[in-house]
Amino acid sequence: MHDILKIVQERGGEIKKTHLMYKANLSHNQMKTYLIELMKNGLLEDRLNNERHRIAITKKGRNFSMRYAQVKEFEKTFGL
Amino acid sequence: MPFHKLFKSNFHFLKMKIVFTPDWFLNNDILINVVSFLVLATFFILALKSYNLSKKKSILYLGIGFLLIAIGELSTILTKIVLYYDTTVTREIGQAVITYQIVRTVDIFYYIGFFFNRLFTLFGLYLIYKTPTRKELSGEFLLILYLLFITALLSQAFFYVYHLTALLLLVMIIRHYYKGYKKEKLSNMMILVAAFSLLALSQVLFFFSKIGYFYVFAQSMQLISYAILFALVIKILKNGKKA
Repeated sequence: MHDILKIVQERGGEIKKTHLMYKANLSHNQMKTYLIELMKNGLLEDRLNNERHRIAITKKGRNFSMRYAQVKEFEKTFGL
Repeated sequence: MPFHKLFKSNFHFLKMKIVFTPDWFLNNDILINVVSFLVLATFFILALKSYNLSKKKSILYLGIGFLLIAIGELSTILTKIVLYYDTTVTREIGQAVITYQIVRTVDIFYYIGFFFNRLFTLFGLYLIYKTPTRKELSGEFLLILYLLFITALLSQAFFYVYHLTALLLLVMIIRHYYKGYKKEKLSNMMILVAAFSLLALSQVLFFFSKIGYFYVFAQSMQLISYAILFALVIKILKNGKKA
């Protein structure tokens, strides 16, 4: 899930669903499951820009992504 | 010699037996303990946040390890504050019997304070050593706890026993992280090795606390070690923001 958030962040905070699917190397069904979960938790949202649906990261999502990266760095430091 | 003066000198002697701090260094060593406490508490908070996110028990145990050493430092801070600033005991000496009881009570308080410092620090170091190698704590844990308790108790009479045990635990921690560094080539692990190595060196210097400025050198080494650990915390948080 963090990988999905990271991909969206790297793309400036917004990405097309199809691009996300290819970048994350996920099947349509897998991505659907992850997106539902991430949106349910308020980490991602569906944004309508010029009548085009895009997946966007929320402020909560950015904070979560940062905290997750810090935790991973902490775990790696202590070999956990 | 008047009786109250005799007690004063005896009380001063008691202080000398418990800590080996030169007079000019009295406040500075408390400050070093406060810095150590804050750094250790930061590691505990970081570990707790990590646990809340990942639910890995090993992270929780590591955090508890840091928390125990932090409590040990807090115990030293409180004991030293009473020891250094408790002037009322020496001033109020007049009635010999009352004074004797006060001195004895204070003496017991110091021993309990330093005992908990040693026990918590050794136990914390053991957890930090054990956590990355084993995911779950085994049954021998109680035996180790008992042995560390005996060590802390024995250290009241032979102070170097505590420093020797702490040194051994630190050497094992250093060995583990050095092996990890050789395998993973992670700069953070090398920083850990450097910090724990200085902490180990400070334990060696503490052996010679009775000689000249060795106590000051040991405390200074401990301060540098915790400063490195604090720099590591900042590095972890900054790298997290970048990612």
